[in-house]
Amino acid sequence: MAPKAMTFKANSVIYFKGDISDKIYILKSGKVSMNSEDIETGQEVRDLIQTGEFFGVKSALGKYPREESAVVLSDAEVIQFTVPEFEQFVAQNTRVIMKMLKVFSNQLRRIHARVSSLLVTEEKTDPESGLFGIGQYYLNKKMYAQALYVFRRYLTYYPSGKFAREAANNIALAEQYAQKYGQGKGPEIGSSTPVPEKHPTGPTPAAARAELSDVAKVFYNGVSLFGQNKFQEALDEFKKVAEQREDEEYSVKALFEIGRCLFQLKQFDAAIRQFSGLIQKYPKLPDLPEALYYIGQCYEGKGEGDRAIGFYKKILTMTTEADPVQRKVKKALRALEEKSK
Amino acid sequence: MNLNLAAFERFAVRFQKGDIIFVEYEPGDSFYLIQSGRVQISKIMGNIEKTLDILYPGEIFGEMAILEEAPRSANAIALDNVKALEFNRANFEILMRGNPAIALKLLKLFTKRIYDQRRRFMILTLDDIQARVMDVFLMLAETDAGGQQEGEKREFKTTIDDIAHWAGLPTEKCREVINHFMNQRRIEVLPDKIIVKNLNEFARFVNSRRKTLAT
Repeated sequence: MAPKAMTFKANSVIYFKGDISDKIYILKSGKVSMNSEDIETGQEVRDLIQTGEFFGVKSALGKYPREESAVVLSDAEVIQFTVPEFEQFVAQNTRVIMKMLKVFSNQLRRIHARVSSLLVTEEKTDPESGLFGIGQYYLNKKMYAQALYVFRRYLTYYPSGKFAREAANNIALAEQYAQKYGQGKGPEIGSSTPVPEKHPTGPTPAAARAELSDVAKVFYNGVSLFGQNKFQEALDEFKKVAEQREDEEYSVKALFEIGRCLFQLKQFDAAIRQFSGLIQKYPKLPDLPEALYYIGQCYEGKGEGDRAIGFYKKILTMTTEADPVQRKVKKALRALEEKSK
Repeated sequence: MNLNLAAFERFAVRFQKGDIIFVEYEPGDSFYLIQSGRVQISKIMGNIEKTLDILYPGEIFGEMAILEEAPRSANAIALDNVKALEFNRANFEILMRGNPAIALKLLKLFTKRIYDQRRRFMILTLDDIQARVMDVFLMLAETDAGGQQEGEKREFKTTIDDIAHWAGLPTEKCREVINHFMNQRRIEVLPDKIIVKNLNEFARFVNSRRKTLAT
């Protein structure tokens, strides 16, 4: 079977609205009008098909009833495809698909907008509150890993958002509980945590705040400041944490964060010293590849691409593809290679 | 489907079982083609996380991102260790040029989305809220959710929350309508399903409530 050339006389109909068919057409000559009714007002809509244009694509591909009648206005020549013939045809002609994708995505956008305009009754959540709410949901369900993902994302997208402080606190809480009790376990958080959608500006529950040590509070204040691109202020907070002696876990974390702040402040030499010192002191640091990555970035910042490559290659030998740092490193390497070409 | 994807290895991303790929409301600028493992699409509604779909290798998700940078409309979570190809607007054209099969798949996906949205729109244009609720059942019967049952009596694996969502009604309002139908013995609500006694009667009622079409 091959696509079939057909002719239709004026005033005939190629297909009717409501028909179910797997045929797709392309107009070669003549005039064909697509007659349909607007789904909202019932008004009749007529669209002329351009020569060379496909019609009947959506209903044939999706096996849906035709949404319009194809009426011939003046004698027309068309080519008729079955779905497999159409697929074969466009497979050699990606440009056609791209064009259709654009048309369809436009239609989709329009119909989306019309649907949203009717959904006045459905409460709309702004993305910021919505994202924070999902984090709260996971935290309440003691799904700490998921909660951490969401709150960290929140701080990435909304570093100075209305829940930034709460998100930073919740990160600390989730980390603490995950370590202390493990995923899925731990005391109830839900009862005292406000549902964010209903109380978007609700205060952090006192119970949750009390769980945080003073050191952790300073640390996460630094995290929040860093998220707001206030690197100098963040640096000051992390220095306080690094200098204290009560909680080594946080002081190690802070030493790492100090390096990140110095990097952001473009104090590359200081940042390299910071990370190198950290690695020497804690050779088994879990964030070691990440620290090496920053050293590489610092060398890049100093314009010493070759030294940066050395560090990046080292990271590749000690990580697997599942490590997010490996993606960043590969990207950095590619960029450097491009540059040297 | 014959996909020539070796050249796209550099777009490969991996997720471990249980990893979040993205969550609802996150800004999104990339979409994914699953190569191995399964991906769960879910949405948090009130105090439960509802699974909307489970996707298998060869399937695409997050595709709305190539239209516009709208926030994600659901969560995507790795059910197994997942390998996927990640695409964005920048590398999308390269992918499509080399792989018409994927472009075609996307075209079909859009077709379905347009149809679904049009159908949803038709429900929402009904002013009579009883007709709206009935039309949701008619829509479900047209899709797989209604199963391949024949005849007047139909069973739907759905909940009042779902119906309310499709009908664009607050859950309470929807519950009132459903209770009213129950009192009239037109439907039965069970914990895991809703039974409509006479779907044809629903269809007649809905048609009588549609805006009269221009003649």
